[in-house]
Parts: sequence; structure tokens; C-alpha cells
Amino acid sequence: METERAPLISLRNVNLWYGTVQALRDVSVDFYQGELVGLVGDNGAGKTSLVNIISGIVAPTSGEVYLDGQRITSFHPKLAIDLGVETTQQSVGLCDNLSIARNYFLGREPVRRIAGIPFIDLGKMRKEGRKAITAFGLRESVDVDGEVALLSGGERQAFKIARAVYFRSRILIMDEPTNNLSVRERERVNDLAVQLKDQSLLVIYITHDIFQIHRIADRFIILENGAKVADVPRNLMSAEDLERIIREGVGNDAGSPRSG
Amino acid sequence: MRVSLARFVLKRPETSAVVVTAILVTFLTITTGGTWLSFANLQSVSRITAVLAIMAFGEALVISTGEVDVSVGSVFAMGALIFIGVGRTVNLGVALLLALGGGLLIGLLNGAVVAFFRVPSLIVTLGTLFLFRGIAYGVTEGFYFGASDEVRSRLIFNVMGGANLGGVNVAVLWALVALLVLHVVMFYMPMGNRILAVGGNAASAYSRGVNVARVRLIVFALSGLLAAFAGMLDAASIGYVDGSFGELMELEAIAAAVLGGCSLVGGRCSLLGTLLGAFLLRAVGSYLVILGIQPQWFILLLGVIVVLASLSDRVLTKLLFRLQQR
Repeated sequence: METERAPLISLRNVNLWYGTVQALRDVSVDFYQGELVGLVGDNGAGKTSLVNIISGIVAPTSGEVYLDGQRITSFHPKLAIDLGVETTQQSVGLCDNLSIARNYFLGREPVRRIAGIPFIDLGKMRKEGRKAITAFGLRESVDVDGEVALLSGGERQAFKIARAVYFRSRILIMDEPTNNLSVRERERVNDLAVQLKDQSLLVIYITHDIFQIHRIADRFIILENGAKVADVPRNLMSAEDLERIIREGVGNDAGSPRSG
Repeated sequence: MRVSLARFVLKRPETSAVVVTAILVTFLTITTGGTWLSFANLQSVSRITAVLAIMAFGEALVISTGEVDVSVGSVFAMGALIFIGVGRTVNLGVALLLALGGGLLIGLLNGAVVAFFRVPSLIVTLGTLFLFRGIAYGVTEGFYFGASDEVRSRLIFNVMGGANLGGVNVAVLWALVALLVLHVVMFYMPMGNRILAVGGNAASAYSRGVNVARVRLIVFALSGLLAAFAGMLDAASIGYVDGSFGELMELEAIAAAVLGGCSLVGGRCSLLGTLLGAFLLRAVGSYLVILGIQPQWFILLLGVIVVLASLSDRVLTKLLFRLQQR
């Protein structure tokens, strides 16, 4: 990293337990504005658990989380979104039964008040939804009033990213954004990730595809059994080495349980 | 062509209810030689439809979130018993507030257990169904509460179901008001968007910052409120209420909502369809009466309708979706 930038998000000695299962073990990590960080590791390594804390879905069992140097004490998705953290998750984020316009603004519907009663501003929802369809490369035939269920996998990802950008988030967490995508759609999503980083967002990118993330990320954080085992800039590690570490593990005692 | 038709039906879930209603009305009118369409019969059908519809609107909201409220039949009885019971002994204004407040409280109780403890709503509301039915039988002691002529002449009593306007019971007007208000809430206000989102995919709604527990609490509270309101309207128009008041009506409310195009798994709702669903059930009921068939057979028919409606709900949705994707 360059000269003493203050981290945007900082986790200090974070532990997370689900019942008797420890999902995160004493994880300390910093994330900075304007970087694209690849968060990698095997299944069950704790990648999603880590970002679930940042996006407010779960609270850590112990440890501290700082955003802009401020200690975060309550964890809720709404709070995270209000603080500028947007997450595009693999399986959640879109309600298939609602239209594109309604999904775009779900939870933060624009309203026009008539006699103090909040009515949703359908005109604005359609207009902004339409803009997102055009700007983020969805098929032109996609109808802003059509159900989200009709979108392709890549369009769903692009749509979630568009929404994150619209709400001026500072931090975008992408959880396996290219799963089940065609090659061309994958390129498109990765280009978007790089563009957002260039617009000085912090992008945290979770993936299994090491060679793909090695091309675009500035830094990699490797998790294993819930512990952070490596935190390296791209220029210090080849994609092959990265893959070997994930496959074979670091072989130290990082996997042993610690008190929560 | 086929695709656009599928889209139309998916977007307007009440379409099938409209079609079935039109066919049924024609059938009922012809086979009864016009008796079914007589003013007297329509007067009665419109009133009992309105009462059921008001309860079913609340049920439709609950079903839209993917839950179910089977306690509404007993809440209906509580609303009626409090209104008549307190109204004839204390004061009608107080009775009105207590009846509505009681329904709201029962709804909040159901909703709180579902929302905060994630107990399946069927189990929770089955419990309150028995609980408040027990209370209804207990307080009436096998007898009934009747409203005196003095009570029946009061304005509140008449506004709350006692009066007819131009031959139409005021409950019909209340049902239309409820339809209008709830339709606007569901489709033109943020709350409706969130109710449908929770029913469609609660995890996604939560990840977008929707307070899922609050949404669940609100729909159950409204369901309780509306069931008590419906009970009050029915009791005031009949003039008395007993412990069995509203028994099995919870099934009719669920059937009305599902017939009207509300999806039992949540996420799809039509209040206009629910009104038509209520009308379908009541129309068939009155038809059996005109034909002189024992009313007990209606229960069998109701069971068949509920099973078929829930089955067709799944099959139809899947089919329409496949057509649309082509």
C-alpha cells in the first residue's frame, strides 16, 4: 500500500460462531478505498461469513469492526446500505416475483407524499430502472415492468451492480458474481468491477476462479478454515502459487480452534 | 400471442377469478330459472360476500407474505361478541373500540410469535383459533348475545352493519372502502412492495434492508383487525351473536384469497380477486340454499374448492411462467 492511508474498513480479531461451528477465527484485515481485493479460499473457508459481517447480515461473536475509523456496534443490512456498503450475493438480493423497477428500489422506494401519505413514485422507479438496463448492458428487450425472473444470470449480476452504483455505495462486495455466467457475461461483470474500482470504490470480490481474479485484483486475502492465512499484493504472488496455497493449505496451525 | 396472454394473466392474478365468476353467475341464473339473480337473493349474497371479503382481505395480506392465518374465524367471533356484548351493557362507542382493539391485539400476538420466534404461522394461529373459540363458547355459555331495539336504533350500530342503504347493507360499502384502501397500500405504497418482497424472497428482502419481522407483524395485525371488523359488521346486521359465530370461516377466507389469485407460497396478491373469490364461495352457498340442499354439503364443497384452488395455484403459476419464458 502507499503512504499510510487510513483503511476504509478494518476488522480486528473477529470471531464468528454459528452454534458450535466456528466460521471465522481471529480475523484481522484492512480494506482501502479504490482497491479491488480478491477474497479467496476453499468452500467453507469463511469468505461469505466475512462479507456477511461487513454487509450487516450477521454480527461477529467477538472482535471489532471499524468503518472510516468508527466502531460499528450494531449489524443490520439496512444500516450497512445506509453507510454505503452494497453487496451482490450469489443467491439473494432479487425478488423474482417483483418487476425490475420494483426490485431496483426495494427497501428504499422513492415516495411522493400526498397529504403526508407516502405513495411510491412509480415513474421515477421505471425511469431509473430503464437507465440501468441501458447503461449496464442488459438486453434492450428487457422490460422494466417485467419480472426479474426473466433475466439471464449475467443480467441479474449486472442489475445488482447497477443498483449498488445507483445508491452511491463506497464499498461493493461481490460474492461469486460470475457463477453460472457465460464467458462473455463474465468478462462484462469483471470489467464492471474494475471500472468501479477506478471510480475509487472499494471492491471486495469473492471467487473460486483464481486465474480470473488474479488478472483484475490488486491484492488477495486467502482464508482457510475461517482464518486468514495470507494477505498479498498481486505482484508478489503468481496465480499458480495462489492456487497451490488454496489447494494444499499453508500447513500451519491456522486451523486449530481458538477461544471466541 | 400466447406469451403475451401468459404475461397478462401473471400480471393480473385475478383474471381466472373474473372468468370463473362470469361463467358461474350465468350458470346459477339459468339453472335456478332466474331466482338466483332476484333482488332478494343478490341483497343477501352481497352482504355475506362483503363480510367474508373483509376478512379475506386480511388473509390475502398474510398469504402474500407466505404465511397463513387460520385464527380469523375465532377473531371474527371475538369482534362480534365484544361489540354486541359490551355494546348492550356499557356503551356502543366503547364496544366499537374494544372490538377493533381486541382483533388488533390478537393479530399482534399471532404476528409477534411468527415474526420474532419464527414459529410456523399455521401452528401459532391454530392455537389462537382454539383459544379464542374456547373463550367465545365460554362467555356465551351456550346461549347468545342479542342487541335490544334501543341498541339497534343507535347510529354507531347502524353504521357498523345494522343499516341498509338503498337495499344494500352498509357492510358492502365497508368492503369496497377496504378494497380500495388495501389495493392502494399493496400496489402504490412502499409497504405493499415490501409485503410482496417478503413473500417472494424473504432473504432477499432482508438483504435490501427490509425489516422482515415488522412486515410480518403488520400483516397479522391487519388480519386480526379486519377479522374483528367483519365479525362486528355481521353481528350488527343479524342482531345477535353466539359462540359458534364465524366457525370454519377461516377456511373460506383462505379459499377466497387463493381463488382470487393470491399465491399460497407468497409473493402474489390480488385484492380484487379475493373479493371475487369471496363472491364465488357465497354465490355457490346461496345456490345450494335455493336448491334446498342441506348446508352441510357446502363444507364438503368448500374442502374440494380449497384443495383444487391450491393445486391449480401451483400448476397454473408454473405453466404460465414456462409459457412466458419462451
